[in-house]
Amino acid sequence: MNKTFHTVFLGLLIAQSLALFVIEGMIPVPFIAPGAKLGLANLITVIALYTMPHWRDALLVLLVRIMLATMFGGGPTIFIYSLAGGLLSFTAMLTIRKLGKSKLSIIGVSAVGAFFHNVGQLAVAVTVIQSTLLWLYLPVLALVGIVTGIAIGFVANLTVPHIKKLPGFANWRTDTI
Amino acid sequence: MLKKWDIILIALLICLSFLPELLIGSKQTEQYSTTYAEITLNGRLYKTVPLSSHHGITEFTITTEQGINVVEIKDAAIAIIDADCPDHICINMGFIEKPGQIIVCLPHKLMIEVKTNGTTNKDDIIPAF
Repeated sequence: MNKTFHTVFLGLLIAQSLALFVIEGMIPVPFIAPGAKLGLANLITVIALYTMPHWRDALLVLLVRIMLATMFGGGPTIFIYSLAGGLLSFTAMLTIRKLGKSKLSIIGVSAVGAFFHNVGQLAVAVTVIQSTLLWLYLPVLALVGIVTGIAIGFVANLTVPHIKKLPGFANWRTDTI
Repeated sequence: MLKKWDIILIALLICLSFLPELLIGSKQTEQYSTTYAEITLNGRLYKTVPLSSHHGITEFTITTEQGINVVEIKDAAIAIIDADCPDHICINMGFIEKPGQIIVCLPHKLMIEVKTNGTTNKDDIIPAF
């Protein structure tokens, strides 16, 4: 594998996920549930997870994106929520992909990621507000999350095979299915 | 594309999302006599306001270190009608009046919960024999 290609590709992914995060903030979303979002930036995390040679690269994309997004209009509060949601979601996706192997597609993995993103953020909210009542928002939040997660998995499923056509991937061993 | 196990997994996740409902789901009582709202800041009780005995429109402002929230009580319903938080989720939640309903403003660590005392639900009375 080419080290230059690796660096450039990593940079591209981070830039794209930050752009998606910023664009998402501009799209008016109908109020379905408190805090419900599209989670477009997660598309890049999923793509990174399925194209990069090691999961550590995908984690780097996620962490750098969260840090940049905090600077681009988040603030410290958003940082904690994003980090908790992002890390839990990432761990869940990684685990379920290992467990599922060829039985699962990107769509299932992405849905799991969206679900646990909500769980992570709610956990922070419960700690901040100090009321377990907030967990009662999980059904509606998770449902919205699963729907957007499936949509994102669908898009990633269409994108990943095309990305793999890039010459840089020629002798690139990916631990993906 | 979508595989069999994807569908099983998604169904499982949807079921899992209802777990909090089972564990801490509010024991919704259909009949309640008096309701009141409990306003907590940072987990500490800030103010209790009666709802069911309230008539007309009352407005007051809660000022915290993080910002302000304007609360309006219209008859037995309570809402946040203005706030200087970035997301305005608390305003979007609208008026609440049933026990167990909540309004949350995460940036300001503020929560309003409707509670009831003196339930007159017969189902709650369990004979002691």
